[in-house]
Amino acid sequence: MEIFTVENLTFTYPNRNFPALNNLNFSIATGEFVVICGQSGSGKSTLLKNMKPILTPKGVKIGQILYYGKKIEDKKIGYVFQNPDNQIVTEKVWQELAFGLENMGLETKMIRLKVAEMASFFGIQNWFEKEVNHLSGGQKQLLNLASIMVMQPDVLLLDEPTSQLDPIAAADFLEAVKKINREIGTTVIITEHRLEHVFSMADKVIVLEKGSILCCNTPSAVATVLAQKNHPMFFAMPAPLQAYTALSQQKIGSHLKCPMDIREGKNWLTEVLKEKKLVKTELPETITFKKDVVLKMKEVWFKYDRQGKDIVKDLSLEVYQGELFCLMGGNGTGKTTTLNLAAGLKKPYRGSIKTKGKWAMLPQNPQNLFVEKTVKEDLSAEKYSIKEIVELVKIESLLEMHPYDLSGGEQQRVALAKVLLLEPDILYLDEPTKCLDNEFKIKLGNLLKELTAKGMTIFMVSHDVEFCGRYADRCAMFFDGKIVAIDTPRQFFSGNNFYTTAANRMARHIFKNAICVEEIVELVKENYRISDDTPPKQKEAKNEAKELLKTSSKKTLFFCKSVFFY
Amino acid sequence: MKNVFSTYHPAINFCFFAAVLSVTIFLKHPVFVLITVTAAFVYAILLEKKATIRFSVPILFMIVLFTIINPLVNARGKTILFYTKYSRVTLEAAIYGCISGFGMAAVLLWFYCYNKTMTSDKFLFLFCKIMPSTAMIFSMVMRFVPNFYKQIHKISYAQKCIGQDISDGSKIEKIKHGMKILSILFTWALENSIDSADSMRARGYGSKQRSTFSIYRFDTRDVFAAVFLVVLIIVVWIKVLLGKCSIVFYPTIVMHELDMVLCIAYSCFCYFPVMLELKERIAWKFLQSKI
Repeated sequence: MEIFTVENLTFTYPNRNFPALNNLNFSIATGEFVVICGQSGSGKSTLLKNMKPILTPKGVKIGQILYYGKKIEDKKIGYVFQNPDNQIVTEKVWQELAFGLENMGLETKMIRLKVAEMASFFGIQNWFEKEVNHLSGGQKQLLNLASIMVMQPDVLLLDEPTSQLDPIAAADFLEAVKKINREIGTTVIITEHRLEHVFSMADKVIVLEKGSILCCNTPSAVATVLAQKNHPMFFAMPAPLQAYTALSQQKIGSHLKCPMDIREGKNWLTEVLKEKKLVKTELPETITFKKDVVLKMKEVWFKYDRQGKDIVKDLSLEVYQGELFCLMGGNGTGKTTTLNLAAGLKKPYRGSIKTKGKWAMLPQNPQNLFVEKTVKEDLSAEKYSIKEIVELVKIESLLEMHPYDLSGGEQQRVALAKVLLLEPDILYLDEPTKCLDNEFKIKLGNLLKELTAKGMTIFMVSHDVEFCGRYADRCAMFFDGKIVAIDTPRQFFSGNNFYTTAANRMARHIFKNAICVEEIVELVKENYRISDDTPPKQKEAKNEAKELLKTSSKKTLFFCKSVFFY
Repeated sequence: MKNVFSTYHPAINFCFFAAVLSVTIFLKHPVFVLITVTAAFVYAILLEKKATIRFSVPILFMIVLFTIINPLVNARGKTILFYTKYSRVTLEAAIYGCISGFGMAAVLLWFYCYNKTMTSDKFLFLFCKIMPSTAMIFSMVMRFVPNFYKQIHKISYAQKCIGQDISDGSKIEKIKHGMKILSILFTWALENSIDSADSMRARGYGSKQRSTFSIYRFDTRDVFAAVFLVVLIIVVWIKVLLGKCSIVFYPTIVMHELDMVLCIAYSCFCYFPVMLELKERIAWKFLQSKI
């Protein structure tokens, strides 16, 4: 049974020449888990808001959306917004849960029952009487979900609900959404740009591009289409899926079932390489040379108040000139505090910190940097000539807009421009990939590489493992107030079991130090080529060469280690 | 820490504090001032030990101040202690000042306890039936104020990252930076209120007559407490209106002789939350030792 039928839907915002949604046609069956994806500005949110009449923005709408063949009833549709904070109305958790039911005019007894049910379903009972301000971001978003679910909607619409959450909270939240879908049977329509988790949950994926449907099909079919078009969204998909589709195009492993998660990916890779003799299983180590130290922290201790516990304990760290250094670790471990210490915004009570050159920092929420009415004014406040930087971060088209009207990724870039205008020698970044979609992440990564090539030192704090694995020169893991491991990404991630990239987890049983999907694909291809084509003699020669490479890489490794632990 | 009295129905909480404050303000008889001030102090200590002790330092200072200032500005009274250049200082005025100081201290302490016990959601619950929309706005404001405060800190921190906080630059620059932070704070507030409004509409706000939900129930315990307190307060007020605890300070101090019934009733009334707290603690000890 179709719950939603979208017929020739075209939607144009006032004063715009082009439609935000262009002639959409699709239907969604009852109980389906649908993921709508697409890059920023592709019309995801507009489509979602069109499905909830009371939130539909002003504009010209042609075509129609039918709900069980009739007009949509607002009551039956729940909507969860992006920002966890702004959508909370009241002060206490239980008030918030009851808010929607109060609006429906239910009596106390009824409300009590429904609230109790939902609180138990989501495990909220432990913080039921707490104040909303004391909750974490993940808890807040879960509360938002629960306070929608108490109203028992038939459909749940979620507009990038996890974009402001850290990876662990995001995964928990999506699990809760999955639970709702599977155990209550609520139809779920979710927009997302982090596809790793939702892809394996989805029954159907709709990809939007510039307001039109690029494809609408099962996850694996969509993956194939995106791979063929070499679409930027392809790189946001789960690693096993990426590897599968990329290799399928070379007719490798395409006869097998498409892997959706790490476990399936692992088995698939084993299957693919089963009958091949494995010749090349390692990648050469990237060579790094020791350069000038621009930031040196020596046995630093820090706590917020005298009786409080130590946030940073006995931390020693050196950052070299012109490198992209990534500090990783879980939430609340003190990464941001370390960044503040390095920048001198906070003072340690023991130990020394030495820095060379000017610094600037990009805080976690870049929105707080903006103080003017347009991007141009905001940037010009720093300096008269902003042309060069504007071109560098590619924000020419945004100059006349209000900073608050920009999307998360755009804000991040404008903020970066503002920080770069200070011409720092050391740039501190606090979670720069938060709220960014994949396309922006790639752009940001390349931009950071460009900056380090020019000699700027970048010290970045992040929990985005994939990003750090791909772009960092050195990675460090922060735990319990100090650094527990520090190395080049290849060494760092191949040494970790859990705290590593998805691609590495999927392939580590075969390829020791591959950390991104492209490397796996390359290695598989290489092994196919070698074991298929090479005559025995050549093979030996290749093996020899490989042996040489190995020893040399070991040497570099030794060198690197001796440098780092120096 | 959970306080026992706060687990009673909000109506009981609110009425108790209203009654105790009204009596405290009226009574000037030293015995009764002492009763109320000690009751408030003990209750505050039970609620939060450290904070109360810290809080009582300025209160003591205030009492001393009252004792000194009143005789300096008030020359009434018969027993003259000494003369200053401008006036005479009398014992009666000093005692009056001292008692007023204690009275004031009692009021402050009771307000402190009130804040710990009557959280804003309880207050809201009591008044949402009389004025639902005002109560709703009040609740939103209660959430908004700390958020506003948090946001100032966030913006200030972000500006510090690029060296443009109020602590950076020359004096004029500091003012400029401060103004900018304030202006962007308002932009933020307006932006976010759009989201909140959307969220409210999406959950059907304004589509029907709102009902109100609460997690409070008026149970038998509350009935007993209500009866107990009402009887006590009636006794106290009748005695007070009959002048059983009247006191005249000037020209000489004349007190009505102590009325034991009033004294006991008043003590029971003021010490009600403390008694509940102690009873529960003792009961717990007893329960545990039995197990």
